[in-house]
Amino acid sequence: MYSYPDVVAKIASDYLERVKSQLRLVSAHEQGDFLREIESHLFEAYQQTPGEDDVARILAVLRNFGEPAEVVADRLPGAMVRSGTKHNLPLYVVGGILIALFGLPLGSAGAGVLVGLLAAVAGILVAYYAVAGSFLLVGALTMLIGLTRILLPQLFDRLVVLGYIQLGGPVGEFLDHFSPSYQGLLMILFASVFAAAGLGMLWLGRYLLRGLRFLFSLTFDWMRRFAQRVRRKLRQDNREAPQLGKVSFVKQ
Amino acid sequence: MEYQDEGRDRRITQLRKGILELAVMGVLYDERHYGYSLVRVLSESGSISLKEGTIYPILARLDRDGLVRSEWVESDQGPPRKYYTLTSSGRQLFDALSQELDVLVSLVQQKWKVSEQSEHARKKLVVRKG
Repeated sequence: MYSYPDVVAKIASDYLERVKSQLRLVSAHEQGDFLREIESHLFEAYQQTPGEDDVARILAVLRNFGEPAEVVADRLPGAMVRSGTKHNLPLYVVGGILIALFGLPLGSAGAGVLVGLLAAVAGILVAYYAVAGSFLLVGALTMLIGLTRILLPQLFDRLVVLGYIQLGGPVGEFLDHFSPSYQGLLMILFASVFAAAGLGMLWLGRYLLRGLRFLFSLTFDWMRRFAQRVRRKLRQDNREAPQLGKVSFVKQ
Repeated sequence: MEYQDEGRDRRITQLRKGILELAVMGVLYDERHYGYSLVRVLSESGSISLKEGTIYPILARLDRDGLVRSEWVESDQGPPRKYYTLTSSGRQLFDALSQELDVLVSLVQQKWKVSEQSEHARKKLVVRKG
């Protein structure tokens, strides 16, 4: 690539590859033209950027130039901007398979099966969030108990005597090996694991929610179109029925 | 209450981006330029400091709308350069847009004048009270 040092050429060509990958929906001619133009810009900017460290120079040039997505923004046809569509593709496929398997061959019975499936998935989602909530609750309570053990050991003992805190069995035996402060610390550690698990589940739940929302909208859209088709057919039949009656009356 | 820096910066960037297309047309009005030289001219003027790559979507848009004409020219200093020139319809549009901008700028300045006048009147009232 002209008089670039090898390492700079590699960085520049990587950048151009990234731009190229964003231009997949553009014609080959336009793609080539655009890449040549950027290549020319990068080369000249590199030559004009002072410094002895070649890598730092080309990185400064690329930083000033901007991210590929910003650069190609107006090169893509409006409807083909890829953000989002790529991520939804697997869900479209799943939705399509569900409709093809259950909706099309079985008609309204298939729709019933689909609704049932969606209800089951929604149930799973509710259960999922319930578990996440339980984890968070257990984490918070255990942390509170741990803090009580460290800061207010008398209160902790009183709660044990009253039966509000029950630490029998192997857990109690295990904790008896440590001092009250260590017991508290262990409880806080245990609580942190639960809290982290709960928060992690909540975070992952976003994807589940998004997927379910998509499946619901896909199914309802399909059902709405199906209902419209049925309504249109019924209207057509109604329109034809009185005409037949009229014809028979005239004939009489 | 102070307006948050992030929101202010975003709005300044939007304002600059909005004006950038007009600035590009202004630079190409009398002289042809290629992307890099255009960026240099714009950044030398001082007030416009955007990512260099943002110039290309603007040039692409102007090209698509027939407001600029482009041609590749060989260069002895490196790869060929794509030069842009403003077309006659580009010039007409630039004239119309710059007139529109003048109106907007005077509108904004008018607001300043009004606030200056009201400040002046308030001071007068204070003097009379004293």
